[in-house]
Amino acid sequence: MPAKSELLPLAALTSSYLAEQATKANEPPWLVAQRATAWDFFAQTLPPFWQRTDLSKLHPETICPPAKAQGTLIQSSEALAALEAKGVVFTTLAAALQTHSDLIQEKLGKAANPLKNKFSALRMALWQDGIFLYVPKNVEINLPLHVNYTLKESDQAIFPYSLLILEPNARATFVEDFSSSASEDLALAGPTTEIFMGAGSELRFASIQQWGPKIYHLGAQAIVLERDARFELTSVALGGTVQHLEAEIALQGAGSQVNWLGATFASADQQLLTESLLQHKGINTSSFISFKTVVTEQSYSVFDGTIKIEQDSKNTISRLEEKAIHLSPDSRSDSIPGLRIDTNNLERAGHASTCGYIDEEQLFYLQSRGLSKNEAIHMIIMGFFEPVLQAIPLEELRATVANTIESKIL
Amino acid sequence: MNNDLVIQNLRVNVGDKEILKGVNLTVQQGTIHAIMGPNGSGKSTLSYTLAGHPGYKVTAGEVWFKGQNILTLEANERSKLGLFLAFQHPVAVPGVSVANFLRAALNAHRAVPGKDPKETSIPIAEFRKLLKSGMLFLEMDDKFARRYLNEGFSGGEKKRLETLQMMLLKPGMIIMDETDSGLDIDALKIVSKGVNHLLNPEIGALVITHYQRLLDYIKPNFVSVMMEGQIVQAGGPELALKLEEKGYDWVREEFAHAS
Repeated sequence: MPAKSELLPLAALTSSYLAEQATKANEPPWLVAQRATAWDFFAQTLPPFWQRTDLSKLHPETICPPAKAQGTLIQSSEALAALEAKGVVFTTLAAALQTHSDLIQEKLGKAANPLKNKFSALRMALWQDGIFLYVPKNVEINLPLHVNYTLKESDQAIFPYSLLILEPNARATFVEDFSSSASEDLALAGPTTEIFMGAGSELRFASIQQWGPKIYHLGAQAIVLERDARFELTSVALGGTVQHLEAEIALQGAGSQVNWLGATFASADQQLLTESLLQHKGINTSSFISFKTVVTEQSYSVFDGTIKIEQDSKNTISRLEEKAIHLSPDSRSDSIPGLRIDTNNLERAGHASTCGYIDEEQLFYLQSRGLSKNEAIHMIIMGFFEPVLQAIPLEELRATVANTIESKIL
Repeated sequence: MNNDLVIQNLRVNVGDKEILKGVNLTVQQGTIHAIMGPNGSGKSTLSYTLAGHPGYKVTAGEVWFKGQNILTLEANERSKLGLFLAFQHPVAVPGVSVANFLRAALNAHRAVPGKDPKETSIPIAEFRKLLKSGMLFLEMDDKFARRYLNEGFSGGEKKRLETLQMMLLKPGMIIMDETDSGLDIDALKIVSKGVNHLLNPEIGALVITHYQRLLDYIKPNFVSVMMEGQIVQAGGPELALKLEEKGYDWVREEFAHAS
């Protein structure tokens, strides 16, 4: 059988082989070294102990990673020419290496530590797909920029790396979505998203995970906000068999803000986990997180959200809300909110968490108007996710996500 | 066909407690029948039971409407048969717009088994027109249609929406559960205007209320008094006035003598 990839399976890879490939691809020496270091770390490190993520059925050693970018589809190409005139760079990360090597070297892996665990190291060692977005100072991009990462049927892995840099007062809207055909075999997706937000910059960012049913999604997001930067995050997790997503948001600069609307819908035997660490470092920082979960059949979902309010932060405002609806008695959800406060000067911080079956009174009210029980459940669940759907900047994608959710309700 | 609502010996438990202890009552089509009674007498239990709330367990009796014992039907089937309960406390459903909800309710009523919903559902333009005229009649702002169902609504807004639903769904039998609670006089007038507009010789109404006030606007043909889960007095509109004047003590005394 011909190899599906020009690269060897993971079990046969070595750091010197990877370095050879990287050099052959004309990658800058700093990246060649960074990949080699990451590979060595990966090879020498035990898998992390993840209490709530079951990787026992994942056998990565046989997986052949792609040798070049093959699943990155930049959707907004028609708008690119106008953006280039303003100094915006929006291209694949691989292509940007040839033109913006110094800038990439300065940022790559600085917010998302590649040596955090075995999988972060794997992602740094093997990324090929991915994008680079650079928005210069005071430049506003009105159109939503959109990248789609896909796994085609024969692919076994994708490790997309998205690096976004917004200079002071820059503004942009960015959407990444992960999709694949429903018929593929077991595959591994390891996306990394790293975002640097300069003073006063604003970013609306949506991350939509709707992989096919057999994909392991082991990813990381890391965002650093400077003074008065504002980050609007919408994240949706619907697909894959196992998701383990680690999100780290650092409110570094004074007055920086994050608003995060999250939605997870797990069905069948899916296990979808999001783990977040939100750090309030600067003074006058504020965060709002609303995370909504629906589980059905035998699925399992976790939101493990830690908020850390550090010593030097003053007048912090933080609010975390988690709501979970169970559509079947066999489904499970864990919400694990954590609040660590190391300052005496807190404005307010709180969290609320609810979990239960669908509200009987809502059901009865809708049924009393003629809707069948099933129609009423659909309406309540779609309403539950509505604020998150509305926050998806692209209408077409919003409709796709709504359809996927509808089809999971049963 | 006769559209009377006939309640026969209805007994209902909530949990282990018997709340309705053999209710007999007929609401004739084309008439307004008021049920009055003190708090805790079982009035709301009766309305929820008629609408099919699963928390109310019927232990005996029958309720006939349009040739069927509706107690065997699901709540949505009762609605489609033409029964409409105007809730005392309408339920908020976040994220569902008033317009989407109303359209879904209308389409559920228009659906025909075996037919493609696309064929039976109301065309968008027709729906908009219907919605607009209903909202205009009830003096509701256009923005109302885009708000989430009952979420953050004032008492008056909730009851106007109940009335709007009633006007769109055109039921054969209206059950109003303490519609006057939480309403100021202006809202009460508008809601009454909607109900009176809808009423005709084909439609009956069971109006449950604590106070005479509502009955100044929605004038009953018959008044019954409920106490401890039974109908204990029946009369015409003059009974409501007597209750307003003298309270419920005299009914309680007569009831105690009788039992």
